[in-house]
Amino acid sequence: MNNKLITMQEAVSKYTWEGMTFAHGGALPVGSDCIAFFREMVRQGVKGINCISNCNTQGTNLLAAAGGIARMEVGFSGLEVYGFANGLKRAVESGQTILEDYSNGGIPIRVMGGALGWPFVPTFINYGCDQAWCSADEPDIYPNPNKIREVTDPFTGKKMGAFKSITPDVAVIHVTMADEQGNGIMLGTEWSRFELSRAAKKVVLQADYIVDTDCMRQFPNLVRIPDLVVEAVVYWPMGVWPACSTGCYDSDEEHFFAMNKMLKTEEGTQEYIEKYVKSYSNHQEFREVIGKDKITKLSDTATAFLMDPYRKWIKSDAEVQELMGGR
Amino acid sequence: MDYSKNEMMAIATGREFQDGELAIFGVGLSMLAGFFAQKNHAPNLIAFTEGGVYGSTPVGGLPWGIEDNRISANATSFTNAVDALCMLVAAGKVDNAVIGAAQIDKFGNVNTTGIWEPGTQPWKVGKYTLPKVRLNGSGGANEIAVGAKKYLIMAAHEKKRFAEKVDYVSSPGYLNGGNDREKYGFPGGGPAAIITNLGILRPDPVTREFILDAYFSFSSVEEILENTGWELKVSPRVKMVPEPTEKELENLRAVDETGSLRKK
Repeated sequence: MNNKLITMQEAVSKYTWEGMTFAHGGALPVGSDCIAFFREMVRQGVKGINCISNCNTQGTNLLAAAGGIARMEVGFSGLEVYGFANGLKRAVESGQTILEDYSNGGIPIRVMGGALGWPFVPTFINYGCDQAWCSADEPDIYPNPNKIREVTDPFTGKKMGAFKSITPDVAVIHVTMADEQGNGIMLGTEWSRFELSRAAKKVVLQADYIVDTDCMRQFPNLVRIPDLVVEAVVYWPMGVWPACSTGCYDSDEEHFFAMNKMLKTEEGTQEYIEKYVKSYSNHQEFREVIGKDKITKLSDTATAFLMDPYRKWIKSDAEVQELMGGR
Repeated sequence: MDYSKNEMMAIATGREFQDGELAIFGVGLSMLAGFFAQKNHAPNLIAFTEGGVYGSTPVGGLPWGIEDNRISANATSFTNAVDALCMLVAAGKVDNAVIGAAQIDKFGNVNTTGIWEPGTQPWKVGKYTLPKVRLNGSGGANEIAVGAKKYLIMAAHEKKRFAEKVDYVSSPGYLNGGNDREKYGFPGGGPAAIITNLGILRPDPVTREFILDAYFSFSSVEEILENTGWELKVSPRVKMVPEPTEKELENLRAVDETGSLRKK
């Protein structure tokens, strides 16, 4: 039995460093992502991250606002119905963050290529358009022939594009539930978390619930991330807040807007960090910052029934703490 | 009858969907247009999201995101982006779709990535300088533009949005017109219509330039020409789009629970 549970502080200090290629998921603006992990990155002052993102989320929005993202490859840089991502937008417009644009299918396909060990992936998406012709890494060349290279189908002789595959140094992946060994179950869309878990050199899970391994044995088809690809597991309830975790809690409309408004300015960002990043030191205190009433309201989600089959295996805070040797 | 311009735009968009089609919608207005069609006249319209949420309809109001809990509460399958966005959309299996646009040009190319000062666009200066305003990027619209058998573009009709040439092609339409799109071998057929809050534009089958096909009861050919940033050609058969029926409005408003389209 290999117990991989570690604290959030340990995870960030061990698995993030300047200049690394960091991937995160689900990376849905309003859905699953390891937002709590990003908060801890900001608290520890992580800088110079090369970020691989399906989409921007409130995690990347915050880290970019705090000056932590040097470069980002992304399919969608907004917050869907919540609007433009003010922190990221500010970092890109000021030149602090280099943003290399792809599309929402482009990043997952490139990660899949990395997972399969392919150096490139043939593509029609992001081909014949400015995602190909504009490269933030080589801004002096337009149209750029290097970002999406042209290849010839060896069977038909027809031209198409080629994506460079991605193998991130680390992927931090939000899962709904994990066991202590690193088996993970995701509820809702996976986005590219399955591919990410196979492409990254190291994988860390951030889980809303820790469950007994018997849960995995009951639903092995749903364990799309098996323990053998996972190095560490962090237990962090409400860890996607203010976005939503399917089956657990809805997105917090009020905080989503307030957060994005604060990230619009440097002063607002500092205020946000004081109030919602530096104000707690563990997940119990984090939940106090969100507030009991707010958590009750957000947990009253129309998707709550999706968790019903798993509830009997959920470990309490005390049981998880015991598994972690009291930490 | 009392209805808003955005309601007319959503109904005109919804009318473009046929029963039995496999469809994908973006978040916001385009989702309302699609689910309106399903409720109104296309009960067997099959819709899914780009991250692979299948078989669901929104509950509790307009979803904040395309895969948030409001559209995940009654799904029959959850998969992933390589499946839904790549294997279904990009690979050419989707019949019809809707995308939005911050800027759009006469060949149906869509920009959702950035706005540059006139004369400083990458295609103009041969350099990729930073845009004056950074927008949200392509999202899943590029896959739709490349792979859907046909798709619709929804946009507010304003001169600054309707440009001779977009600053940045996030989602390719007919590129430089004529057969330019064919050069890239995309599986999908390209944009079938641009539907705005003033009327409907459709592409000329040969030049692929979008021309004015229809106006609404509250708009006119003149108003549309004034609000288009290129010299818009008018179809000799230009006509008025039939006004919403009572049933259509009722069905749209049932889908648009929060009344987001009713604001004038």
